[in-house]
Amino acid sequence: MSGAPIDLAYELVRLSLAAWRVTGNVEHASDGAIVIAGKKAIRIEPGPRNTMFRWLVTIDGRKRGAISLLAVLRQVRQALDPGYAACGVRVAVAPLVPS
Amino acid sequence: MIGADAIPVWVLTGFLGSGKTTMLGHLLRQPEFSRTAVIINEFGEIGLDHELIESSQDSVIALTTGCLCCKVRSDLTQTLQDLLRRRDAGACTPFDRVVIETSGLADPAPILHALMTDADTAGRLVLGGVATTVDAVTGGVTLEREAISRKQIAVADRIVLSKLDLAGGAETPLLARLAALNPGAPVLQADHGRIEAKNLFGAGVHDPKIGPFATEPVAIDSWLAQAPDHAHEHHDAEIRSFTIVRTEPIQAVALTLFLEALAEHCGADLLRLKGIVNIAESPQHPAVIHGVQHVFHPPAWLERWPSADRTSRMVFITRHVPRRWVEVLLEAIGAEVADVQALAQNRGG
Repeated sequence: MSGAPIDLAYELVRLSLAAWRVTGNVEHASDGAIVIAGKKAIRIEPGPRNTMFRWLVTIDGRKRGAISLLAVLRQVRQALDPGYAACGVRVAVAPLVPS
Repeated sequence: MIGADAIPVWVLTGFLGSGKTTMLGHLLRQPEFSRTAVIINEFGEIGLDHELIESSQDSVIALTTGCLCCKVRSDLTQTLQDLLRRRDAGACTPFDRVVIETSGLADPAPILHALMTDADTAGRLVLGGVATTVDAVTGGVTLEREAISRKQIAVADRIVLSKLDLAGGAETPLLARLAALNPGAPVLQADHGRIEAKNLFGAGVHDPKIGPFATEPVAIDSWLAQAPDHAHEHHDAEIRSFTIVRTEPIQAVALTLFLEALAEHCGADLLRLKGIVNIAESPQHPAVIHGVQHVFHPPAWLERWPSADRTSRMVFITRHVPRRWVEVLLEAIGAEVADVQALAQNRGG
């Protein structure tokens, strides 16, 4: 993973807390991880090479993979925002390009 | 592409007493409006509004079973299906436009959702747009007091000021308030309820007969033109609007993920999203996107760009959704998609 997605992920998580009106601080660790300190300590780090997971999210000591930034956001919000109900159904825009 | 034979459905909304029915009565007398089916929703056990409309048309239907936004799934979709059946059977005027007049207390969002998602009418009916009437005299107070009236304004494609003759110039603050709530919607004036049908319905973004899907896609610029300058942000106490502009084309999958994230994380706070997007895989055919809260209309593909401007422009009307979050969300998703593609290419090559 290049540095650009990591920097943007950090910024996105920081702004997402504000958008969700969730209290917390986001820190960019020296090893590239993102740490959220607030109601819970959450660690977000790039996933290992050659796996399907681009990110690993550790919440309450439990590490889970996330295939995309959207999956990271979903996990973080589920952990921090009790009023959030993640949608289990994914609906793709169809067609992606004109037929 | 949306079929040219799809029938546009316009939603006519506005708070109680704002002049919807009076305006509709005048519209029904205009030749340009003759091939229009009208559905009137009234809140109460006995409907009166449809009696106030003088029309010989057999395609004016009154729904008196309750507020449309509360019973929209059953009543409205059933009524639309019945209308199409009657049209197919030659049992009513062969209309080529439908107008739904909501009750003054209706939240237009569920109605728009129903129009955008009903599988039984998809392909035959398409959302034409939303016209919202505002009383020039009492509109300002109503906007202060009634959240639903602010929502009716926020989702509008056209705003129509009524009772200007009674306002005596007092409408100026109201105009500023309307511009703050929805700077993208042109404000028209109805003279004692009179307004030209072509002015009101003449630039429906989803109207395949007169909108950008027709041979003259210039209307899309009209649809977006009044959007706030992207360097500025207009805001109300709760509702704000802003425009996101991207000069680089956006990958189709990035747009899909972006819309999905908006629907998931903004939900009801995303009052309206409309835009024209330069898709990387389809540079000649821009995508027109349109969403209300968590529901997005399938993107429509224009035959060509309406002007030399190839930038993607997305207009947001939101409640409590920070502009910067939306910008970074799009940027981060785009970067991740590009990163995944680069990795795949490296592995393949």
